[in-house]
Amino acid sequence: MSKTSGKTVEDIVLEIKDKSELMVDLAYSSLLYDNKVIAREVYDLEDLIDNLYQKLQRETLQRVADGELSVEDALAVLRLAEAGEQIADAAQEIADVELRDIELHPILKMSIRESDQVFTRVEVSKGSILCNKTLGELKLASETGMTVIAMRHGNRWLYGPDKNTRIDPGDILFAKGPEDGEKHLIELAGGLTDKI
Amino acid sequence: MKRKIFGILQKTRKNEWKREEFSEIEYEPTSVKELLTEMKNISELIIDLAYSAVLFHNEEIAEEVKYLDVRMDKLNYEIRMMAMMATRTKEDAEQLAGILQVAEAAESISNAAGYIIDLLFRERTGPILPKILKKAEEHIYRIKIFKESKACNQRIGDLRVETETGMRIIAIRRGEYWIYNPDADTILKADDWLIVRGAREGYEELKRFLHGELEVLD
Repeated sequence: MSKTSGKTVEDIVLEIKDKSELMVDLAYSSLLYDNKVIAREVYDLEDLIDNLYQKLQRETLQRVADGELSVEDALAVLRLAEAGEQIADAAQEIADVELRDIELHPILKMSIRESDQVFTRVEVSKGSILCNKTLGELKLASETGMTVIAMRHGNRWLYGPDKNTRIDPGDILFAKGPEDGEKHLIELAGGLTDKI
Repeated sequence: MKRKIFGILQKTRKNEWKREEFSEIEYEPTSVKELLTEMKNISELIIDLAYSAVLFHNEEIAEEVKYLDVRMDKLNYEIRMMAMMATRTKEDAEQLAGILQVAEAAESISNAAGYIIDLLFRERTGPILPKILKKAEEHIYRIKIFKESKACNQRIGDLRVETETGMRIIAIRRGEYWIYNPDADTILKADDWLIVRGAREGYEELKRFLHGELEVLD
């Protein structure tokens, strides 16, 4: 256990891993929906990952100094995190394309659409079964295959929502998953079906 | 001829990536869109494969990651050639530059996967990395298909594995062979080993189904 902060080395590595993957998804969605707000979030997350990585280096070295971690293990942890950092940088490069004042080439959207994993954006209507429930209660990911990567609630945005995140009528969900899962999610959000 | 890489039964020979690396790049008229789509698909799969290789200490998956990484370099080269051929005006150049930047980013992601794989070969890391990766929110699991399971001889698309459980099948091991990124038409067989990614509850359901304890996925 680390002495200087509540987060252990393991926690920080995993946060870097999860956030970097989220960033790639967000970056591709920003292009697909020509959405600069999401693209800017990718930039903010990149700053966060830089900070996490620096913190990790310090914590890891501290644990080696305290004799709690071997040099080999410390190197392995730092290198795994470095790969996550590289992925985060790549996501930022993708988001950068959206933030430039140049109209996107239609091929970009087409390629993202035609991938194995599709992105979708749905508005939750008043009559939807999704309203006033948390993602955990709905088990959306395990029941539809669609993972919510971001959502817009009025003027507020939420990135990488967790199981305690509640869905309200009017929320806009950005999700990722297989093509037939997309259809199911659209029907659920539109109130066309109640069967999750 | 380019080797098809996804959805087919194959065996990645040791050091196949080296042969691929030094094979000549020929100008083939492929569309920029096709190249970019393939690059995006590889960039998403290769990270999961790299983490799986480390998690299960599996050198065969690592070989495939190396192969895909080299393949990505070539795709990136090809897409640059194609983009140049397609440029006629200043506007074309501006827009195609954006495409090349995304392609470059996809390539960087595959380099990161190569970097993860190096951990497997170079470092005597012991169990610390698998220990950490096991705690991830979206975890990677291995499941064997028992012959009692209703999944045997069924198409993945008909079983709707991903939409019913949220588990994405990254790869299948069948005896000595592998299927990477299986598609809806891939047929599951008894004794296949599936490498899947997703949340724990989806995993539990899928495991019960593949072990024959559950008749249907829903």
